[in-house]
Amino acid sequence: MSTAAQQVIERGGDPEPRVPRMSWRGIATVAMHEFRIRLRTGRWRWLLGAWFVVLLVFTSLLRWALAAARPTFPAYYMGGPGQVDIPPPPPIGTPMFGGLMLFVLGLALLVVPALTAQSVNGDRERGVLATLQVTLLTPTEIALGKLLAAWLTALVFLATTVPLVVWSVIEGGVGLGRVVVTMLVVALLLGVVCAVAQCLSALLARSTTSAVLSYMAVFALAVGTVIAFALTLPLTAETRSVTERFPVWDGPPPEEEFIDPDGRFPPPAPPTPPGRQGEPDRWETQTYQVSDVRPEKVWWLLAPNPFVILADAAPSTQPRFDPRSGARLAEPLDPLGEIGHAVREARDPSDHRAEPRFDTVPPEPTPEQQPGPVWPYGLVFDVLLGAGAVALTIRRLRTPVRKLPRGVRIA
Amino acid sequence: MAETEVLVAAGGASAPQGGIVAANVRRTFGDVVAVDDIGLAAPAGCVTALVGPNGAGKTTLLLVLATLLTPDAGQIRVAGYDPVREPREVRARIGWMPDAFGTYDTLTAREVLEFVAAAYRLPRARHTVRARELLALVHLAQFADRPVHVLSRGQKQRLGLARALVHDPAVLLLDEPAAGLDPRSRIELRGILRGLAAEGRAVLVSSHVLAELEETADRVVFVDGGRTVDEHHLADLRPTQRRPWRLRALDQELLLSSLAGLGAVITGEPGLAGVEVMLAGDEEAAELVAALVRDGVPIVACAPAAGTLEAAYLEMTEDRR
Ligand SMILES: Nc1ncnc2c1ncn2[C@@H]1O[C@H](COP(=O)(O)OP(=O)(O)OP(=O)(O)O)[C@@H](O)[C@H]1O
Ligand SMILES: [Mg+2]
Repeated sequence: MSTAAQQVIERGGDPEPRVPRMSWRGIATVAMHEFRIRLRTGRWRWLLGAWFVVLLVFTSLLRWALAAARPTFPAYYMGGPGQVDIPPPPPIGTPMFGGLMLFVLGLALLVVPALTAQSVNGDRERGVLATLQVTLLTPTEIALGKLLAAWLTALVFLATTVPLVVWSVIEGGVGLGRVVVTMLVVALLLGVVCAVAQCLSALLARSTTSAVLSYMAVFALAVGTVIAFALTLPLTAETRSVTERFPVWDGPPPEEEFIDPDGRFPPPAPPTPPGRQGEPDRWETQTYQVSDVRPEKVWWLLAPNPFVILADAAPSTQPRFDPRSGARLAEPLDPLGEIGHAVREARDPSDHRAEPRFDTVPPEPTPEQQPGPVWPYGLVFDVLLGAGAVALTIRRLRTPVRKLPRGVRIA
Repeated sequence: MAETEVLVAAGGASAPQGGIVAANVRRTFGDVVAVDDIGLAAPAGCVTALVGPNGAGKTTLLLVLATLLTPDAGQIRVAGYDPVREPREVRARIGWMPDAFGTYDTLTAREVLEFVAAAYRLPRARHTVRARELLALVHLAQFADRPVHVLSRGQKQRLGLARALVHDPAVLLLDEPAAGLDPRSRIELRGILRGLAAEGRAVLVSSHVLAELEETADRVVFVDGGRTVDEHHLADLRPTQRRPWRLRALDQELLLSSLAGLGAVITGEPGLAGVEVMLAGDEEAAELVAALVRDGVPIVACAPAAGTLEAAYLEMTEDRR
């Protein structure tokens, strides 16, 4: 080999001396181009129509079901003779909104990977990626432009749910803060899904493979995290020995005293003979093994779950008070709050439900002891995942290319 | 090859100069050696033809020159810049036309060109004007608002050429631009390429249509098996081996008997197109014509059965048969 060629090889080992430049104009150029192609293909109209119809049917059914299941006055409130006030029934809006947003997120997770799962390798298969790469557009602009177009498309889908969200707000019980936060979280999560699917399309040669894999990735986030949590939970079990002291009567045990405060039943049978009640004859101790699962060790497995993030990030509902008596009213059913509460509970190390308790009632946790939120961890993790995916996509779009995957022609 | 080395030395790393200079370029894909050792020069103001059999490595070489693939080895200057270390500088100056146009779904020809203009960061006001100019140049003005995917193959090729010219590049890398073109479009392509070269651009064009290249190219680079086999000015191209020449006379019977008398080697079947005779070079042809005229044969035409380029190409790939 000539010395000139040798020099080139050695030089090739250097890190790329140029930082990829990026401009909004470049990103906008790519995004508008991609968006135009998406808009033209026409399929989106049907998809968007089907999407809205499914959500409309779901929301209507949910609304009717909730209205039918709502506790009505006589069964709900047994007013005494002096009590004629009827408390306002719990609003339908809270469960309706929660159910709708969880359903929207679930449906979006089904639709959104398709938006970017073929964005890079599909372009290469169609022979238009290389012509883009030889222009003055940088890899960053190409990656971000494509991502922006896909994300905007996903947001269009999200925007069509606004009328249904407004409906649930009209039904009452949903604060504006809750709506805004929930929508923002869903929007952000959809962006992450777009980024991950796009990254897979840049990493894999075949567009069908990357499409399948992006659905697997979404499945891993939405279901895999729960499975992982459920399967690792038994592994956290800690065995400890408990010594119990318990009373022993040598004779037959004392009868349970029958409590009849209203006096509606005939008087009980004659009391047991004296000497059988009161102090036990002696105390015995017994030691046995108790095994506790420690969810606070694996709660973080649930954190990246988009449903968990959505539910936990939703601000809690405002407590309702009776306008006349000022008494606190029962909370409406709130799916978001329930999920959020459940995952926060998993973080709480003081909660040992497996421990048998005989005599002591666990103290009500004071607000300061409440376990912290889970969603910031999950959201940060997911956003970092998306950012990493974008970075990897940019790397894979860089040209000139040294190593090509087997069986891939760059053009 | 000597010519290439001189040019590389003159080009150096600093002095930017037009055209393409490449030496000892090598590119492998795993075990497959696509380009083994190619050197070529495509100076500004010239149309340089890249000719070679299927799989010779032409497309791979063009991809390396177009800043899409890193060479494993070799020294390259495109418009004075290194495609590996200064890809942006190179990209600003090259127009690359891939061998297939690609699928843009439902975009129209005009939209594709306007998008490419934006991608090359032309001023916004220029996009529409530039698209119109280029569509007129490649005679696609009436197809401007048709979706690209309904265009015929030849129309797509012409649009591909327009796409490569959007940013007025100094170096053109065209991969089989004549494929699928009708005869008129080929002649027009020839005119466009000659015009681009006359404006001082370097044009490197790979093609299998040798008769066409003969009319278009100033220089020719033969590659085979990933190596440069030969590099010529077309004017110098003088095949020395025996090759078929075609003779036509008013009286074919007389021509045949006269040829038999002169002891000429006739190949193939004599037909309406004439009689093919194996001859080695222009001198031998001149002698034969003179002899035939002396015999009183009413001779009409005597020309190589194949073009110079084709003959040279066949000569090069002789051993493959
Ligand atoms: N990405 C790749 N991976 C593996 N082998 C490749 C790749 N690209 C090209 N090759 C091989 O390299 C050789 C040269 O290919 P190339 O496309 O450069 O040929 P070509 O000269 O353009 O041929 P044609 O005249 O048919 O267009 C071929 O044998 C081809 O199979
Ligand atoms: Mg080729």
